Amino acid sequence: MGPILAVEGLKAYYQMRYFGTLREVRAVDDITLEIQRDEIYGLAGESSSGKSTLIKTIARAIRPPLNVVDGAVRFDFAGQGPRDIYTLSAPELAATRWRHLSYIMQGSMNVLNPVRRIQHSFVDFAFRHMDLPMPAFLRRVEEHLGHLSLRPDVLESFPHELSGGMRQRVTIALATVCRPDFIIADEPTTALDVVVQKGVLEMIRRLQREMGSSVLFVTHDMAVHANLTDRLGIMYAGRLVEEAPTRALFRQPLHPYTAHLIRSLPRIGDDTPRHGLEGRPPNLASPPPGCRFHPRCPLAMEVCQQTTPVMQELAPGHRVACHAAAQGILP
Amino acid sequence: MWKILRDLLRYNWEFTAGVILLAGVAIVALLSFVSPYPPLDVYVVAPDLPPSMEHWLGTTSRGQDVFWQLSVAIRNTLAFGIVVALISRVIALAVGLFAGYAGGPVDRLLMSVNDTFIVVPIFPILVLFYFVMRDQMSWGLLALVAACLGWAYDARLIRSIALSLKTREFTAQSAFSGMNAGEIVTREHLPYVMPVVFTTTMNNMNWSIGLEVTLSVLGFTDVNTPTIGGMIYWANQHAALVSGIWWWIAAPVALVIAVFVALFLLAVSMNEYIDPRSRLARMGGG
Repeated sequence: MGPILAVEGLKAYYQMRYFGTLREVRAVDDITLEIQRDEIYGLAGESSSGKSTLIKTIARAIRPPLNVVDGAVRFDFAGQGPRDIYTLSAPELAATRWRHLSYIMQGSMNVLNPVRRIQHSFVDFAFRHMDLPMPAFLRRVEEHLGHLSLRPDVLESFPHELSGGMRQRVTIALATVCRPDFIIADEPTTALDVVVQKGVLEMIRRLQREMGSSVLFVTHDMAVHANLTDRLGIMYAGRLVEEAPTRALFRQPLHPYTAHLIRSLPRIGDDTPRHGLEGRPPNLASPPPGCRFHPRCPLAMEVCQQTTPVMQELAPGHRVACHAAAQGILP
Repeated sequence: MWKILRDLLRYNWEFTAGVILLAGVAIVALLSFVSPYPPLDVYVVAPDLPPSMEHWLGTTSRGQDVFWQLSVAIRNTLAFGIVVALISRVIALAVGLFAGYAGGPVDRLLMSVNDTFIVVPIFPILVLFYFVMRDQMSWGLLALVAACLGWAYDARLIRSIALSLKTREFTAQSAFSGMNAGEIVTREHLPYVMPVVFTTTMNNMNWSIGLEVTLSVLGFTDVNTPTIGGMIYWANQHAALVSGIWWWIAAPVALVIAVFVALFLLAVSMNEYIDPRSRLARMGGG
């Protein structure tokens, strides 16, 4: 079987009309990637690099002004054959969600309705996707909560009665109760302290192993990626700039931006000062020509200002979009 | 439910006072069903008698017993307030929640209608209505017209909450899980706005009762249906205050003030208790 997800040349822009002029913010610009079965794919990049827009587009959880301009998002669930999620009809899409594709949203601590008990959230969100009568559904939910070391009586609680870590686990339980083939997780651990974070990450890993699902895991925290993901994609200014197995990427980054990201990580025993990258990420409404990273890049050459680098596979499974790397210049 | 009511009665004096007041008023209203006198008949007792054991609140210049007249009047007035509040709540919720959730052209259309109702002067319209309808102006028609004029402020209030709820994660999650707009609005957003709706219900009843009293006092309603305002209208017609029949005016005024205060106290305490977060704060948690 082929990859579970293939994104091809995906372009998703925020399109707004002000007084008759179209203004576009190119938050996702020409991204191609594949995610295999039973793997955790990490997506890294700084704020406003288009990570969340990309996964919203992949999940077809977009609403105007965000529009898909070009490209395809093909999911291949359980041997149904690859299908573009944007060609599915509304009932087909609803049947896909939760059973095959679930989404742990950003700020997922707040996906639970504050004035409804947890049980209502499970019934509202997940019940329709499982062909089970209500008592069997609730038994299944309780069993699943037990799996995530949550007691069944959380179902009777309101979200504000739970701690941050518990709420996070409830959210993950909500997204995984139907044992989906593909889970999208948008910064699920960002608001948690490191101890709770570790527990949640181990839980995601364990669930993924048991269910054999694929996970698309988004966070700007490179340390989390190093611990959790199998492969890692780096985004900068709406483009994918590098992609490789996580270990290889940390051992030898090829893109200068990735190199800076990794070098910014603290290491025990190393007390040399860390230098921040000069400049700011570009405005995606009018990105710089050529390589979008060139105004901040220490290796920038003439060609970088004129032509956009394309993704090239320089080592097995290691793709990078950089003129310097293509010429063998390492950051 | 009963436990909540018991706790409310025990720990929230506003609620207790409101319930006691409203219960008193309700008992008076219910007594109208066992009234010894037909409510529409005049000169059934000796006129202008001061309060006594036989006539607790005295009698009117029209030969009616004030207490029994009052019990029918408050029943009609309360029923008016409840009917207006219910109808206008339904309109306000429907318009507010859908305008807020849908946004865009739907929102603009609904809100332009809404704002029209806000700026239109309600009182002259009701008076105009009375002059147009004249003899057809019944109690039910007045309630309907008042409800159609009384939802706009609250619809805007509810819309403002819906606007914020629309951008919350749980709304995105609901939409992602395949709920349609109707389901999201009724299952996810409606419980959230209920405390506000309860409070506005009380306020709206106060408003509509006040409106009814005002119109009746001026004679712009069907004055033959006994209502609180109608009683004051007839008392003024007979110059009750000048001729010293003060009990004819004092009784309905005191009772309607009791209703206002009771509704206000309930609104205050309800709001605090329906929201689980403020309930918890009161218990000393969260």
